[in-house]
Amino acid sequence: MNSLDPRINRLSEKGQITSEEKKKSLDQLETYEVFLQKREGQPFRHEGIVHAPDEELAWIFAKEQFSRRQTCTGLWIAKTENIMVSELTENEESVYDLYEEKYCGEGNKYAIFHMLKRGKQHVYAGTVLANDESSAISCAKAQFSDEQVFNIWVVKEENLLISSEEDKDMWLTVPEKTFREAYAYKASDKIKEYKKRNA
Amino acid sequence: MYGGGTIFESHDEKNIVNEDPVKLAQFEERINRGEKIEPSDWMPALYKKQLIRMIEQHAHSEIIGALPEGTWITRAPGFRRKLALIAKVQDEVGHAQLLYSAAETLGKTREEMIDDLLSGKSKYSNIFNYPAFTWADSCFISWLVDAGAIVNQLANSRGSYGPYCRALERICAEESFHLKYGHHCVIYMATGTQKQHDMMQEAVNRWWKPLMHFFGPPDKISVHTEVLMKWKVKMASNDDMRNQFLDMYVPKILELGLTIPDPELRKDETTGRWVYGDPDWDEFYRVINGDGPCNKERLEVRKIAEERGRWVRESLKRAESKYVVPLA
Amino acid sequence: MNTPAIKELLYKIGDDQLILGHRNSEWTGLGPILEEDIAFCSMAQDKIGQSLAIFSILHELGEPDPDTNAFLRDAKLFKNCQYVEMPIGEFDFSIVRHFLFDNAEAIRFKHLTDSSFIPLANLSKKIKGELKYHTMHANTWIKRLGNGSKESIDRVQKALNDSWTMALGMFEVSPYEAELIQEKIFVGEKVIMQEWYESISATIEGTELSLPDLYSSKPMLGGRQGLHTESLIKLLDEMSEVIRLDPEAEW
Repeated sequence: MNSLDPRINRLSEKGQITSEEKKKSLDQLETYEVFLQKREGQPFRHEGIVHAPDEELAWIFAKEQFSRRQTCTGLWIAKTENIMVSELTENEESVYDLYEEKYCGEGNKYAIFHMLKRGKQHVYAGTVLANDESSAISCAKAQFSDEQVFNIWVVKEENLLISSEEDKDMWLTVPEKTFREAYAYKASDKIKEYKKRNA
Repeated sequence: MYGGGTIFESHDEKNIVNEDPVKLAQFEERINRGEKIEPSDWMPALYKKQLIRMIEQHAHSEIIGALPEGTWITRAPGFRRKLALIAKVQDEVGHAQLLYSAAETLGKTREEMIDDLLSGKSKYSNIFNYPAFTWADSCFISWLVDAGAIVNQLANSRGSYGPYCRALERICAEESFHLKYGHHCVIYMATGTQKQHDMMQEAVNRWWKPLMHFFGPPDKISVHTEVLMKWKVKMASNDDMRNQFLDMYVPKILELGLTIPDPELRKDETTGRWVYGDPDWDEFYRVINGDGPCNKERLEVRKIAEERGRWVRESLKRAESKYVVPLA
Repeated sequence: MNTPAIKELLYKIGDDQLILGHRNSEWTGLGPILEEDIAFCSMAQDKIGQSLAIFSILHELGEPDPDTNAFLRDAKLFKNCQYVEMPIGEFDFSIVRHFLFDNAEAIRFKHLTDSSFIPLANLSKKIKGELKYHTMHANTWIKRLGNGSKESIDRVQKALNDSWTMALGMFEVSPYEAELIQEKIFVGEKVIMQEWYESISATIEGTELSLPDLYSSKPMLGGRQGLHTESLIKLLDEMSEVIRLDPEAEW
């Protein structure tokens, strides 16, 4: 290939790849939902997904895709398959209206995430002890249903990979990478100077 | 960055007549209220189809868009430009990932989308089918193509589909550095040495027409999109977005002592609309249908990248893994 | 302060980071999986950013400003090991280079946190978190590929075998080695190499791969003395192509 990009000319030097072959369909890698805490004290918020073969690589991918450009103090991931999704309400109705309240205190730990408005990301509301996902919602109703909630995600805590305290130093230098920040690119002086030169 | 205008093919309005009227009414009422549609909502087939096409095209534009600017990564002049350009192109890849993920919530897998890109079935923005001959070309793209993309993205971020809005929110936040960086580069070129200024002017001369094509054909020759505007899939007309872009950026280009290669370009003060010379819409259609300077190379490169990565992906597959549609 | 010894050490480290960062940035947009493309690119930025920090320290010691030093210096004045100047090859070569180099780098900087040369000690403390991610990333990939398909195991093993003598060149001893150790500026290459071998062996242990013996191969030396391959000359020509259009201009 005769590309303007020297990297691409080096790529096709080997010659053994024939891009004429129809690309064989590949199986999908599974997806993992990613939750991120921007600063201490803020709730973990859903940011998106990564495709990965396992938890470890999912975390490694998620860290760069979702926290390379912003501060981060914690990162959680959960396989999409392991998240139970509640009904979705609209307008004035809260999804908690569809569940009976229950007072719970035993069983497995379940993390509860709320969609507080259609169009907004799910945020972590808290953890309850329950015997299964549905009961977990009933337990959550008793504990944190003051606001109107449109959709709930429930994940068993053992299915959530949580970043540790020691991992926090990985994000230490993120704020220093000012070459990625808009405020590092001021040039109005250059324009003024140019206009003066050519006035 | 993104491809402007979006290539909507004409759709059959009869499709909507076959939808359940009660559900359709509830769906439209939700949109009129300003409430977003989420993946588990009922949606008319046409809405789903056009959304998948639009988000998918946007994703393809990002991953292909990484290639013209990527041309200059190894040659960026100085640490500051080197780091910034790598980060910027990285963001394009990241945006592709975000957008494929948003489209996946509608039930099309990432692999299917990539297959359609490589086979030529799915389109991406025309502007990336042009060559980045010099460093100045990469500066032009970083500033003005991104600027065009931002006009589009801001409009679309007010659309009706939740996952797409959330992806765009993230993308817009990251784009602000792209725009500033690109403008910074062009300022330095245009106000620098005579050679730098000339290189920048030549780039402007080369890229102006493709940039005018960026927002898509004029409304009067475009595909009808009334129902898509009603459903807040398409948020603004091609002409409106092009006009907004010209309003914002023509003065900024001219203040750098650069000229725009269109003698007819001017703002009509009475209508507030920009008037411009015919940028050759035949060329637009030729390029979108495969006959542009770099179409072949762009897809070849993606195919080579996929082929060379095949053994990696194959080695990661596990027999027991089971893909489910992402949530949001 | 032993300035010549310190400068030599800084050039070695800074040039390694710049050249490898440059190589790794070539993968941008061309990686095997979107998410991996993004991760690899971040680490390339980290390396280039770290080299900029090193060149800034050098500038304070009287060397030219970072852009001039990095972009306009002749190939025979570069002190990187030859390993890092090699083209990116396929993902197997690059991921193995990432694994071998970054593990050595992490150990090098771990020891440099105790350096008597304070600017380097401070930098080492600051980038500890970045390097932690780099080694976590590399080790996880080697474990996956080293336990993956027959093809991935064969490819990675071949890359390890083919890269071995080049990798050992990372530990080429400096003419100032004795002084650096005595003045507690740096613990010396021998210590780094030994710890590196133990560390990568532990990762390889859990896979179908095997490491060549540490002392059976003759290392590919010369890089630290400015002896380089054609690859570096081409790399530097390319890297400086635009800036050389006018080195006096502001880009």
